[in-house]
Amino acid sequence: MHHANHYYGHSHVLARYCGLDDTDPPRLRGYLQHGWNIGDGLAPDHEFVPGVPSFLWSERTRRRAWSLGRRQLYVTGSPFAYLLMMEPIDPATPREGTIWYPFHGWEGQHVEGDHAALMAEIRATEPGPVTVCLYWQEYRSTKLRRQYEAAGFRVICHGYRGGWWKDLDPGFLYRQLGELRRHARVASNRLCSAVFYGALAGCAPAVYGDPMHLRNEKPAFGGHERILREWAALHGAQVDPALARSIAVEELGADRLLAPPELRRLLGWPMPRSVEDAELTGVLPR
Amino acid sequence: MTVQMIGGEMLHWSDLSGTHGPRPLSAALAAPLLAGLPGRVLVAGPHDPAGLPAGATVLVRGVADAEALAGRGASVLCGSLEKQAAEPAFDTVVALDGLERLCTPEAPDLGWEETLGLLLAVLRPGGRLLLGVPNDFGLDRLIALPPSPADTDWVAPDGPVTSADLHPRLAAAGFPVVREYAAYPGALLGAEVLADPGLRGFLGATLTAAAPAEGRLADPGRLIAGALRHGLAAQLAPGWILLAGDIAAGPAAVLPTGAVRLDGGAWFQGDGTPIPAGRTLADLILAACGRRALPAVRELLTAWQESPAAGVPADQVVVDAAGGCHGLAAPGTPVAALRSLAAWLIGGGYAHLWPSPADEAELTALLAGMTGRELDPHAVPAGPGRPDGGSLRELRVERDRLEQELADARARHEFYERTVASRDAELKRVRQVNALLSATVPGRAANTVVDGLKAGRRAVRAVVKRTRS
Repeated sequence: MHHANHYYGHSHVLARYCGLDDTDPPRLRGYLQHGWNIGDGLAPDHEFVPGVPSFLWSERTRRRAWSLGRRQLYVTGSPFAYLLMMEPIDPATPREGTIWYPFHGWEGQHVEGDHAALMAEIRATEPGPVTVCLYWQEYRSTKLRRQYEAAGFRVICHGYRGGWWKDLDPGFLYRQLGELRRHARVASNRLCSAVFYGALAGCAPAVYGDPMHLRNEKPAFGGHERILREWAALHGAQVDPALARSIAVEELGADRLLAPPELRRLLGWPMPRSVEDAELTGVLPR
Repeated sequence: MTVQMIGGEMLHWSDLSGTHGPRPLSAALAAPLLAGLPGRVLVAGPHDPAGLPAGATVLVRGVADAEALAGRGASVLCGSLEKQAAEPAFDTVVALDGLERLCTPEAPDLGWEETLGLLLAVLRPGGRLLLGVPNDFGLDRLIALPPSPADTDWVAPDGPVTSADLHPRLAAAGFPVVREYAAYPGALLGAEVLADPGLRGFLGATLTAAAPAEGRLADPGRLIAGALRHGLAAQLAPGWILLAGDIAAGPAAVLPTGAVRLDGGAWFQGDGTPIPAGRTLADLILAACGRRALPAVRELLTAWQESPAAGVPADQVVVDAAGGCHGLAAPGTPVAALRSLAAWLIGGGYAHLWPSPADEAELTALLAGMTGRELDPHAVPAGPGRPDGGSLRELRVERDRLEQELADARARHEFYERTVASRDAELKRVRQVNALLSATVPGRAANTVVDGLKAGRRAVRAVVKRTRS
């Protein structure tokens, strides 16, 4: 229904969870929330076709979207939470250092801010080794990449999120989870999906430093100021990890994950062909 | 026995056949009230012949009814009540059908007080009266379609507005009311039963199942559950039955299985079956839908479908405090039970909680999915249809849903048209690029290689085929 459903390999993760071919997920009958936000769950410029359902991450987002006049809302939880369910983390796995996500713009947007000052603050705050994860746009800038490397940080990129059904990257979330589970802390200069992902994956989260801004940024739904007010407890160099985790569970809908049969029906996906019982009787007990 | 014609009788008339007004109270419900009445008993008005007290005298106005009752051995008076001699000849008067079917077109127009006076006039002082009273503001009237004038309507009844109006009148006549039942089809309910919140689920299920299937403004189930929840089930009962005078207070409630009794803090039906305490599953699910709490709906559905009551319709399942599901009706198939719940949810206006199109089959499949079961909507058996022509409210909900679905489908159609147009343009562009590339030297070389490979494959296949044959 919408190309954004396939960003970050989200539909691929759900296809795997539903027992389907995760290299080529079927067309998804609705709009899948693809990032944490403080509006109706979908991008501010999202074009809604009446009657097409939205699959949202959390009850809070669903309530907000309803109040904004949206209907046909269904809380499914986030693809990342499904991935974590399929790839549970062994608590004995050693963790070290911090993975740091500088605030980034999306395709066509440009972040303005003092990266040098931010690097100094990261160095002064983080006790261990730091991995900086750049968005693909920033990562392509050799100058910026070198700048971070020169500051002594390991610089990585999870990949290209894909767009318009082209250059889709089924491995995006896997790489992100792989990095998060190696680190003890996750941090950013703005509260964002990555911080929640990290908190859910067992990292101690932090949000600090110059939040920077997008060129011609038009704050929607109250913008950064509202995020500061509403999620004040998640801001600072040290955040209560238990509280952060409970908020992450709520925001990512990790306590709202659906069983595969329900998810398949919602997304308009078929039953897995490998189950002969289902083909014979139309009923597949789980 | 013979029939004594007292005058004013109706020659071609029967109140017992159900062709002129409702059938009388069933014998199963009346029997526990009529057992062991001492002395001479007059049963006035239409009553179920199967439940008449032994030795009672029966007064009916239709000759057909009189002859049928005489044929069963009853002592029968046939005619209009005002023709009966006003002598206190009876120790007990039973008029469970009320005052409205005691007089005939031959009688002058009498108000309810005058008719009641006639009835009391044949009752011995210190005797007992069992009287039915219709409720003009009962649930059944609130959801009734506008009636057409019937043969019974030669005069409009002016009955008392509420049963409470009768209490002082009967007390003044020396027959104080000792018990008042809320009279529903399928149950007579005393105050202590209605006051017990634990019984709301069972009573809601029982009253809903017994509600007559006929054209009406709204499905009675939701109204009954609401009346029980708000403590209005007595005020909104279709009628009342009063026990007055020198009479025992009677059982707390009467069901078709007999008198309901309280034993050790738990309620039991007349046949000894324990009555489960709790709310109905349908009520709990609707409440959860109202709170938009789909995880709660998921839990309720899963517990139900994993219980022995999986095939019992949700409005006939009581969920106890421990979450146990108690089926009150014979189970069918679980899919049919899920489908009836889907119909109930759509009728309740909750279809919008699920992605459209949420028709009964689609919603049934999704509800099954919520319990962790895979179900193809095409495998959902057809529903029972609408034998009663449907309720207007539910028809309106259905119409609105279909209207919305059509508008959504049109919007999606336009979206698909735009998408197809842009994909067509993309396809054209890709084909042009393809054609251009094919015309280049490397393109032609690649085509030659591909064509050669295809020819080779064909040749190999032909050889293999010849070898096999």
